[in-house]
Amino acid sequence: MTQTRTASPPVRWLTQIGVDSAYVLFGFPIALVAYVLVFTLFTVGVSTIITVAGLPVLVGAVYAARAFADLERLRVPGVVHRPAPRPEYRKSPPGAGFWRRLFTPLRDGQSWLDLLHAIFSWILYTISFCFVVTWWAGALGGISSIIWLRYVPAPDPDSKDLNILLGLSDTLGARIALNTVIGVVFLLTLPLITRAFALMPAQFGRVLLSGMAEVQNRISGLREQRDSAVSAEATALRRLERDIHDGPQQRLVRLAMDLGRARQQLATDPEAAKATIEEALGQTRETLDELRALSRGIAPPILADRGLPSALAALASRGTVPVGLSIDETLPRLAPIVENTAYFVVAEALANLAKHSQARAAAVDVVRIEGRLAVTVLDDGVGGAHMAKGHGLAGLADRVRAAGGTLTVDSPVGGPTVIRAELPCE
Amino acid sequence: MRVVVADDSVLLREGLVRLLTENGHEVVAAVGDGPSLVAAVDEYRPQVSIVDVRMPPSHTDEGLRASVEARRKVPGTPILVLSQYVEVSYADDLLADRRGAIGYLLKDRVSEVAEFLDALARVADGGTVLDPDVVAQLVVRRGRDPLERLTQREREVLGLMAEGRSNTAIARVLVVTDGAVEKHVKNIFTKLDLPPDEEQHRRVLAVLAYLRG
Repeated sequence: MTQTRTASPPVRWLTQIGVDSAYVLFGFPIALVAYVLVFTLFTVGVSTIITVAGLPVLVGAVYAARAFADLERLRVPGVVHRPAPRPEYRKSPPGAGFWRRLFTPLRDGQSWLDLLHAIFSWILYTISFCFVVTWWAGALGGISSIIWLRYVPAPDPDSKDLNILLGLSDTLGARIALNTVIGVVFLLTLPLITRAFALMPAQFGRVLLSGMAEVQNRISGLREQRDSAVSAEATALRRLERDIHDGPQQRLVRLAMDLGRARQQLATDPEAAKATIEEALGQTRETLDELRALSRGIAPPILADRGLPSALAALASRGTVPVGLSIDETLPRLAPIVENTAYFVVAEALANLAKHSQARAAAVDVVRIEGRLAVTVLDDGVGGAHMAKGHGLAGLADRVRAAGGTLTVDSPVGGPTVIRAELPCE
Repeated sequence: MRVVVADDSVLLREGLVRLLTENGHEVVAAVGDGPSLVAAVDEYRPQVSIVDVRMPPSHTDEGLRASVEARRKVPGTPILVLSQYVEVSYADDLLADRRGAIGYLLKDRVSEVAEFLDALARVADGGTVLDPDVVAQLVVRRGRDPLERLTQREREVLGLMAEGRSNTAIARVLVVTDGAVEKHVKNIFTKLDLPPDEEQHRRVLAVLAYLRG
């Protein structure tokens, strides 16, 4: 897939014509063999199922159909330009008895879809095969008529050839010209015809053979996304508890301690009591600062009020190093999960950078392309950041995945570090 | 008294050191993690140690495990554990060796300086001091049936006993005479089938053993 994307358009077309034609030309005989083999086994199996012997034959038909399905799944992606995943086939539990094993493939829905494909795909392939062969023959035969037509005996003067019917003269030159024109028409429409008649059986195959697998993949993708969300939330809550414990809670305990001391001192040494109360006031202010920072960390009020550009600008101005921010000021309000996640990517990346990178400058870039919001944070520090478990970035990766996005960290030792998150946004 | 202080928060460590120094105690070591606590207790043999539950490296119940370890190395060394949270299971760990000279208080109690210093002295003397919140949770956990045989007043006395207070102290809190407290205690011991014991900390342990089931 990557080569076709990088190749120039003419090469791409030629490759596609080749792929589509080969798909149909080989597919037709394969489909015939599949039909003959599977349909025979299936009918024999079904008609003799009353005697127990029919059952293994039927199972044989299912396995034959599965083999042809696997072959088709290998061939389909070249035509439809997307993977044709193999569904999870039902497996017998370990230690299952003979009968249980025998019945397992029959209880699998996909087995019957495989059978359906093996028995009916030849119809589509036959149609496709006729068109593709006709078009290739028409194109090749027509444009090469200048070479071979002269060796074909001139037609009986009584016969009504196409050039006569069209009112052209009955000369070799006229016949060559007409054949060449027809050949060119076939050649020009060849890409369209091969495309259409390859897509027809290929889509039929994809839907029947990989439709279930695509649903399964989607479900497991969603399951991963949900697990990430749960894990990100647990991490965030643990961190919040720790931040509260290490920050405001400690300060309040110390405050209580100091006030207790002050009360004691009041009786004996009022001057010392005054100093202690001064200190306690200082503690109060610092506690408030810490609480403010904490609440900003949980749900930054400016993000909710003013949106991503203002919130990121505020974040960048609070940074420990100069941060260059590039974001479209007219970016509309996005879904809260996208805004929040984008904000925390930047916040976490900047916090990480301040702690570990020794960077002197950083740049934050936010762009929206094709329904995705790309957030990039770059710094000129020492690098070596990674997403290992327990690292701050691991929690961030979970958070991004929970929003259906991806996080990549490129941070070679020696720098620079590039952290990039892509989030889906409509 | 010679005291070791263990708390990873510099803020609280400093606060405690000041408070203790101002009240005539000598802080022989102030450390910030579990292993240093064990080492300090082993080296200085303090009369009492004040230990925070949550400390590095594990940031969980490091202080508890270090306390148990320190008491294994220096048997019976008095330890007063301070915590932001009250967890009965922490108290269980501390009381497991039944040696006394142990305390478990919420950090906030430090602000009642006189009471805190009193509790510290009791622990140093081999007594057992539990936070009222821990006792309350123990009473709840014990279930109601046998405790239902106690009168309201007797239940109050039981709670105060579990906190590690002497008859005199209980009498002062409840504003009754020593004799009245003694009578309540005797009734409690009879009703709960506890062995009567004159010695203060053995009596507390008996009550706690009963409450912990």
